[in-house]
Amino acid sequence: MSYRKALTAAAAAGVLLAASGAAADVKFGALYPFSGDLALLGEESYRGLEIAVEEINANGGVQGEQIVLERGDAVDNNQAIGEARRLISREQVAGIFGSYASSRSIAASQVAELSGIPYFELGAVADEVTGRGLEWLWRTNPTAEHMGQLIVEMTVEAIAPRLNRDPGDLRIAIIHEDSSYGTSVAGHQERYGKEAGLNIVTVQAYPANTVDMSSLVLDLQSRDIDVVYQTSYQNDSVLFLQQADEAGFKPAAIVGGGGGYSLQPTADAVGHELIDGVLNADFTQYLVNTEATPGLEDFVSAYEERYGTFPRSGHSLNNYVGAKAILQALDEADGFDPDVIAETMAAIDIPAGQTAAGYGMLFDDTHQNERAAMMGLQWQDGKLVTVYPEEAAYAPMRLGNE
Amino acid sequence: MQQKLKPALASPRGAIGLALVLLGVLAIPIAMDDQFIYHIFVTICIFAALSTAWNIVGGYAGQLSLGHAIFYGIGAYAAVMLTNMGITPWLGMFVGAFFAVIAAIVVSYPCFRLHGPFFALATIAFLEVFRVLALHFRSFTGGATGMMIPLNIGWEWMVFRDRLPSLVIAFGMMLLALAVAWWIRNHRLGFQLIATRERESAARGAGVQTVKVRLIGVSISAALCSLVGSFHAMYLTFIEPEAVFSLTFSIQIALFALIGGIGTVFGPLLGAVMLVPITELARGWLGSGALGLHGFVYGVVLVLVVLFMPNGIMGLVHRFLEPDRKPKAEPEPETVAAEPRRVAPHQVGDDIIRVEGLDKHFGGLHVTNNVSFNLKEGEVLALIGPNGAGKTTVFNMISGFLKPDSGTVSVRGTDGQFHQPVTPGDYAAIGVGRTFQIVQPFASMTVEENIMVGAFHRFTDVNDAREAARETAHRMGLGRWLDSEARGLTIGGLKRLEVARVMAMQPRVLLLDEVMAGINQTDVRRAVDLMLSIRDSGVSIIAIEHVMQAVMSLSDRVIVLNSGQIIAEGSPQEVVRDPTVIEAYLGKEFAHA
Amino acid sequence: MDTFLQVLTNGLMLGGLFAIVSIGLTLIFGIVKVINFAHGEYLMVGMYLTFLLATGLHVHPYLTVAAVAPLLFVLGALTQRFLIQPLMSARDEHVQIFATVGLSTALMNLALLVFGADIASTPSSGLRTSLHLGPVRILLGQAVIFVVSIALVAALHWYLQRTQTGRAIRAVAQNRDAAQLMGINVNWIYILTFGIGAACVGLAASLVAPLYPTQPTSGTYFVLIAFVVVVLGGLGSIGGAFLGAMVIGLIDSLSGFYIGSDLREVAVFGVFLLILILRPSGLFGRKNLAHVSP
Repeated sequence: MSYRKALTAAAAAGVLLAASGAAADVKFGALYPFSGDLALLGEESYRGLEIAVEEINANGGVQGEQIVLERGDAVDNNQAIGEARRLISREQVAGIFGSYASSRSIAASQVAELSGIPYFELGAVADEVTGRGLEWLWRTNPTAEHMGQLIVEMTVEAIAPRLNRDPGDLRIAIIHEDSSYGTSVAGHQERYGKEAGLNIVTVQAYPANTVDMSSLVLDLQSRDIDVVYQTSYQNDSVLFLQQADEAGFKPAAIVGGGGGYSLQPTADAVGHELIDGVLNADFTQYLVNTEATPGLEDFVSAYEERYGTFPRSGHSLNNYVGAKAILQALDEADGFDPDVIAETMAAIDIPAGQTAAGYGMLFDDTHQNERAAMMGLQWQDGKLVTVYPEEAAYAPMRLGNE
Repeated sequence: MQQKLKPALASPRGAIGLALVLLGVLAIPIAMDDQFIYHIFVTICIFAALSTAWNIVGGYAGQLSLGHAIFYGIGAYAAVMLTNMGITPWLGMFVGAFFAVIAAIVVSYPCFRLHGPFFALATIAFLEVFRVLALHFRSFTGGATGMMIPLNIGWEWMVFRDRLPSLVIAFGMMLLALAVAWWIRNHRLGFQLIATRERESAARGAGVQTVKVRLIGVSISAALCSLVGSFHAMYLTFIEPEAVFSLTFSIQIALFALIGGIGTVFGPLLGAVMLVPITELARGWLGSGALGLHGFVYGVVLVLVVLFMPNGIMGLVHRFLEPDRKPKAEPEPETVAAEPRRVAPHQVGDDIIRVEGLDKHFGGLHVTNNVSFNLKEGEVLALIGPNGAGKTTVFNMISGFLKPDSGTVSVRGTDGQFHQPVTPGDYAAIGVGRTFQIVQPFASMTVEENIMVGAFHRFTDVNDAREAARETAHRMGLGRWLDSEARGLTIGGLKRLEVARVMAMQPRVLLLDEVMAGINQTDVRRAVDLMLSIRDSGVSIIAIEHVMQAVMSLSDRVIVLNSGQIIAEGSPQEVVRDPTVIEAYLGKEFAHA
Repeated sequence: MDTFLQVLTNGLMLGGLFAIVSIGLTLIFGIVKVINFAHGEYLMVGMYLTFLLATGLHVHPYLTVAAVAPLLFVLGALTQRFLIQPLMSARDEHVQIFATVGLSTALMNLALLVFGADIASTPSSGLRTSLHLGPVRILLGQAVIFVVSIALVAALHWYLQRTQTGRAIRAVAQNRDAAQLMGINVNWIYILTFGIGAACVGLAASLVAPLYPTQPTSGTYFVLIAFVVVVLGGLGSIGGAFLGAMVIGLIDSLSGFYIGSDLREVAVFGVFLLILILRPSGLFGRKNLAHVSP
């Protein structure tokens, strides 16, 4: 061992927790926010990856090697870069899985790009993740664009007919929290809405930690809004639903964009009666027609066995599906060289209806999974059930007179 | 909190320690040749540079800014926007710095009137406004989704595949910040900033243009932060308002300085060098544990550090470097005056100050009513009167600290013309120096440094000022305390220091506000001698005084003020015999005497 | 017109919310003169306590005030005694601010550790019922907050003006050293004031929790607003703080309706800065300009 290496090893012991793992394994990084504000769903996302890895390891691993996950905590953007560098240089990972939060993904994947190490994004939704033309980044999950697109499509195809209205006659308001997530979803809702000829009356942003949305509600009320699209976290979803109700504002439909609208505690907080009928679009959730999502039940039982609870959100499922597809493909490849991985990724071709999330997998030239899709959901009797598209629906959409 | 102001470099042990720290920051990552270690040290350099820059405002000037992320953010956005237009960040960073300076002036100028917590709140409010506006003006800033730079590799674009160049740039920025901070601390600007922090009015009295020096300080600080922000944006390759204009980030910048030692040159560096690795380590241990555990421990540790190390790391370092300072073994200077008194009666010349019709109301109270008098060159004029007569108000109006409601104050300049100064700075410039009734030492500065603040009125060079200060100190009998902190002096010593600071300005007119109150008989006699020697050196004096012994032996002329009006004027002997004066002021003892 | 009246009403109700949260800070900031960044976290702690007591004992959330206010009093008093008081003599006032930043971080993460990141909802127990007053509509719970905040202002005013301790508190606020010379135990007064200030937040928490979701970050929104309100009202002026809260509530509501909800904070902080710069004694404060230079 050279002097330099000895020094490095000594520093590794001093600055970091020493990595664990046997010699013949292949290492991948798992870069998620494990602490800080985003930790809850960061951890939830990681669980999906962990289940996929454990499942594959139990079946003999990838190319006969056991996979070892090295966790990196991307608590802020600077830290995401630091951890990505650590995973690449210190842990010598073959690739990095991540990252739930878009800004962490954007920051960390630039490091991977410069180092020529593959970065697999399984959950971040911002356009910029794949919009930069990175060579070494692939994204398996549906994005903010899919969400905006699906909500508009659902409005045209399902909501308007059930209300017996022409889609163009509906007065639509887009409201969103003002961080990256709300802003990008709202941007796509607006764009696709205009393309589809929808009448978008107003677009309004607000800070997610607000304590009062009554003026916003009044504004929507005075504009005679029929349909509200809200992209929000938990606090603001609860506030809006409650304050709209108290102001007597009853739009024909409210469509959430994931976030707070996909979480059970939101429904419990506002009351199951109040949230009943509220629509939502998000990653594939659990009350879905399982014929369209083969393997979902196995995932849920594996999750419950591993963590002792029902999955807290669809993030784990989507991370699971993405990671599993990639690792299975790698099993067929020869080695973990970045070029080999790139070839493997290019060859992945899974038709829709064959993964536990329902969507298929095929990467376009920006390395976005062009078969990724979201699903339309609705709160019915205190549960979030899949209602759109028809073939994945768990129950019919309840709206208008139907 | 503020440390002794002797820079750590003054001690050889300190200099060696500093060199080792700097060498370590550069050498450790190179020796270990590891991406992650490089990243940690780049982060150390960035935070050290930001905290050092912050310290110019937060430490030297004592203005607790919690909005410094504004300047960092402007630098970051400028560099990223220009890079996207194809302009190299090496140019963009200076564009950013330019705008950061403008923002700094716009933000700080109105806020400088605010002290302590209020300044902090105002800077937080400005930061929030910047953040919300950056979110709002999407077409300009990219809004909440942030902005990225294209990954063009090379020095030109400040994006590197190698790790060393980033470290070199970050290290260079840190050195620049340290050098600037060190330079400021050891030059006039630093003395003036610290004097302003310690006692704003005394600083103004000593001719410091407090607003100007603070604006210079905050501009330099903002420019440095902006440069670092530009580099950090290139390093991150991605910025967003939430991360850039962040209150948490602002607090963190200030925190490194606080833990290292606010107001010291190298404290922020030490703070960053110690804390960044510890934070990384703690995150490794606690981050993957329970949700919130890391933050909880972080908060608790912060509280403990503040409670048990309120002087920061530099406080400990100083204890190590300088076990204790004793007053220099210099014989007590018995003679106050350096030159023997001239026996010949002194000459009284023409008017040097003309005060006409000064009026001032505080609410319903008419504090001075049509006060007019003049002061002749080489004259000692005593201003006496019972408490509340308006003497200090008159002083404040003839030194620029208060604006009269009506009336004028004219001072003859060296050009022979009469001028009407407005601000304390104007008065200092034309040669009017004043002391304060309640002594206003710059408590954390040494006696020498206190006097230097006055001397800087005449000298720009630090050595000249030091020389002049020492000379003045010896003349005032403060020689043996040159290196002691002002807060350690007795009341008599503080009064002399007060006069010494003004004398170091070499004023032509000296306004003395009760310099003899509360000192013992011997000191009074010495003070009288001192003043006469000052007068003999050609300085005209107006003295507010209660000690009648001094008034009688010192003054050429006495003005008696009562309820804001001049009730008598004349030679000391005339005035004490004046029945109105006796009735209004001197009371029965003198009437019977 | 009805909409405008409703916007005004919403503004006043929001003002009531800001007032009840800020009154405690008036005491702490105005008398102890410490920027307590943990003020929002006091509210958050109080809301969690209300949540625990109301759901655990199945009592009306309002009844929990009997326990929450005393507990918060203890929290506040402990903060002053063990965190602020040791730093009172520090040469630099900045260290106190950082001590409270540390406390704020610790409390927020403690809540995360104990309760997780999800929201906790205190039962609304009928307080979300709408009352119709002519053309406008308010929530029962909001009306209660509004009325109680007025009552609290009156009660504190009476306490400070008419009781022996209250006079001592005012004396300390005006001139700490002189009060000490007159034999007032200044440290004790500070502890008491901090405790009362925190207890007021406890009262606020029991009223606020049934109406708003509770989460570890619940306090962060309020802390800056509370400082704005207190400065606007004039340092240490309790009635002023109430009026300041009304002003901020109205600005927030009106700008949210007429300008756009994403710029509400710009309006609020913009007004705050203008007043701080142009009239540093606050809108309703007496001229007590210790914190500004001439």
